[in-house]
Amino acid sequence: MKRLPRLCWNLISSPFTCPSVIGIFVLVYIGIAFITDDALIVLMELVRRNGILVLLLALLPIASLARLIKEIRCFRSGYQISTGDPSHDGASLFDEAVELETAAPFDGIEETIRTQGYTIRKEENRLAAWRGITHAPARLIFLLATLCLYSGIFISLIFRTSYRGPVIEGEPMPGLSQDGGIVERIRLENGKGTILSKRLTIDVAPSGQGGGQASFGIYPPGLYQGSFVYPRYLGIALLVRFSAPDMHGTFEKHAVLNMYPAGKEAEVQIPESPYKLVTSLAEPDDGLDPYITGRMVFNVKLSKDKDVVLSGVLPGGGELNREGYCIAFPDYRRMVLTDFIQDYGVYFIWGALSLYGIALLYWLPVRVFFPRREMLFVRGGINDMVTAYSRTEGRERSHNSLFHNLLDMLDIGKIQPGG
Amino acid sequence: MIVIKLIPHAVSWAVIALFLVRGFHAGRLMVIISGSGGFALGALGALVLFRLLPPESAFGIIRGGLGVSLLLLWGVAVMAAYRPFWKRTTYFEGTGFTVMCACLAGCMAGAVSASRLSGSGTSLAPYLALILVGGALASYAGAVEKRIPEWFIVGGPSLAAVVVALLLYGSSLSLRLDLFAPLTMKVMKFAHDFVHQFMESMLIPDHVFIRSNLWKYIGVLFGKEIGFWGALVIWFTPLLLIVYAIQFEPLPSVAHIRQGAERRRLLAVFIHIRRYRLIPALLAVLVLTAAVYRSCVPSVEYWDPKPIVVTATPVGDIFIPRKGDIDLEDGKLHKYLFRQGGKEARFFIIMGPSGKLTVVLDACAICKPDGYGQAEGTVICYYCKTLIPLDTVGRSGGCNPVPLAFSEKDDGVHINAVTLMNEWDNTVQTTTKVKGAGK
Repeated sequence: MKRLPRLCWNLISSPFTCPSVIGIFVLVYIGIAFITDDALIVLMELVRRNGILVLLLALLPIASLARLIKEIRCFRSGYQISTGDPSHDGASLFDEAVELETAAPFDGIEETIRTQGYTIRKEENRLAAWRGITHAPARLIFLLATLCLYSGIFISLIFRTSYRGPVIEGEPMPGLSQDGGIVERIRLENGKGTILSKRLTIDVAPSGQGGGQASFGIYPPGLYQGSFVYPRYLGIALLVRFSAPDMHGTFEKHAVLNMYPAGKEAEVQIPESPYKLVTSLAEPDDGLDPYITGRMVFNVKLSKDKDVVLSGVLPGGGELNREGYCIAFPDYRRMVLTDFIQDYGVYFIWGALSLYGIALLYWLPVRVFFPRREMLFVRGGINDMVTAYSRTEGRERSHNSLFHNLLDMLDIGKIQPGG
Repeated sequence: MIVIKLIPHAVSWAVIALFLVRGFHAGRLMVIISGSGGFALGALGALVLFRLLPPESAFGIIRGGLGVSLLLLWGVAVMAAYRPFWKRTTYFEGTGFTVMCACLAGCMAGAVSASRLSGSGTSLAPYLALILVGGALASYAGAVEKRIPEWFIVGGPSLAAVVVALLLYGSSLSLRLDLFAPLTMKVMKFAHDFVHQFMESMLIPDHVFIRSNLWKYIGVLFGKEIGFWGALVIWFTPLLLIVYAIQFEPLPSVAHIRQGAERRRLLAVFIHIRRYRLIPALLAVLVLTAAVYRSCVPSVEYWDPKPIVVTATPVGDIFIPRKGDIDLEDGKLHKYLFRQGGKEARFFIIMGPSGKLTVVLDACAICKPDGYGQAEGTVICYYCKTLIPLDTVGRSGGCNPVPLAFSEKDDGVHINAVTLMNEWDNTVQTTTKVKGAGK
């Protein structure tokens, strides 16, 4: 009964598991790429819908965790061996293990080891020597980062929920909950940083759910009622009023238009009529961004079927009357088309990227300047054999050369006891 | 002419056979027989494909086989890199494995070589001649192999690298078998989608909020250069992994030897042999480089006439006569340029294999409007190097040139100037202004 769990553990914690799973996904991707150009998007959708692929994806964080546990155990065992715990068999943890039939004491090699810059811990039947700093912490941080990355991808891909809605000045915050606070103000300013060209602030009044005053920017995204507020595009919420000679009554509608920056056109279709209104923010004479200043003038173009019947310029709040047509924008407000995203995988992925950075910062100098080199000589067992172990994380040639010379010295000592 | 075209393939096959014989120790004769048998099978298989299927499907199947061989090389390379963790090494040995590998390599080499005969009709004779030459070359390679020094060792991963590199080199000689150009396109698309998805997943702001000079750098990830460099990574990484696996193969344990000189001698011999084992892998790198070069600078000359300037009548009708200085029915691509109000639009007319005239923009809906050239039963998008079979020109989607409404009359073709300008504006606006353009 113990064999099956052990087999499962060995499979899960094997270094081949993650590459194999990734290989399967690559093959699926290649297969999809033969059929469609949007292979990545199709693959993501396929993973969300297919139970087997979900399980396969879940295997990545599980295998990483198992690998992390296994390597922590190895690291602990290695430490216990070098500190003199006789209960551990170290052969599998070292690069080389040699048995020598010699009675020579360790005193003869101690000085040689010390002159090479190694630190020594000596006990009655045991001599451990090491030099440099182990990269094990970097390795463990790396594995932790990988675990975070896979977990983040899994959570993000499977559990992400997203809702896109317009955030309009004076209106309640949209979102999954219908109880959002009123958007008091949307401000856009020119950014001063090296990355963002704009600085956006969305001020929201306290909501009925007990939330306090909130303010959201572009990055990092703020959290509102458990969802990230991710501004996507800017636009204007317009109250459009329109009448035509051949229409009964006046058409009036609130339109949310994605029409930023100035010059970008947006359409308003007048229902049950051949009319279509195309509007855009006019380029201001002063060169300032109308979204920032709030002084908005609109270019309007009215088409009937395929013919343009009216065009002109209309200031916000104004009216355009010509040839029996009347177009008015009595109300206009700033709008930010925003995604409300519930996705906790983001934290894991950012965490993973930070951990990778830390691991690299630790590993690189240690590997280049202070690679860990270890030796262990243990006397015991039948015939008082000496078992010698060696492992190295860098500068392998010089360490191995020293190790082999020490073995030679012990071997010579067999002929000349005490030498 | 066909014989000249086949020479590089024959040389490739001879070198493949040479490496197969050296790489497998199961018996020279067995490798030669199975390799030659595979070559014959591949050549005959290609003949059957070209007889039964339309050329594009037949080429597609052979190209698919080449793609699978590249994937297998990836598998071999990853396993080689993981070799230190690999406890058992006898999975891929034995006579059966040798025969299978030699046969598969021969099969692909035969199919690639035979695809060069696809334009010479469906007569059996050239294929039989090719098979005989293939067999003779394999035997010759077997004889030459005896004269190669013993130190020239070909390990399993190196053998796979050389064989696949030579197969891909052979495929790069034919536009319709070339893998590198379609790979660049796929990588370009992947990079675009990946960056987009990554930014959305990480909630990184869109270009509206990012400084334009910074966005230019991000825009590099959407250009065709990323496709080229990404494809190079996919192309060469398996070989580099194999080189890495050989170069950094752990030294043998010599701790049990109590003579320093003997230890040093053993290690020196190992390092010496290790260097020799790098030679085939490095040779494969060279061959693959040549394949990339052939793909990027094909010897095929594209038919790409200078666009003829046309004008519209006062009612906006552009008329192209069917016969005149230019014969629209000659099966060649004919380009035209129309100018109006400071703007210009390019289009071309071509008679497809079905005998119908087609009018399309000299641009597609997803690439920058670099235009098209014509070669070997296809038109090629200059931007992304995608080959579009002639019988699909006139259909919309993907990298196909954008179809244009036109009316065909006895005297020629009539196109509406407004429609042309609108289509051109829409297409060019989409492909040059959105996120750095490209797929």
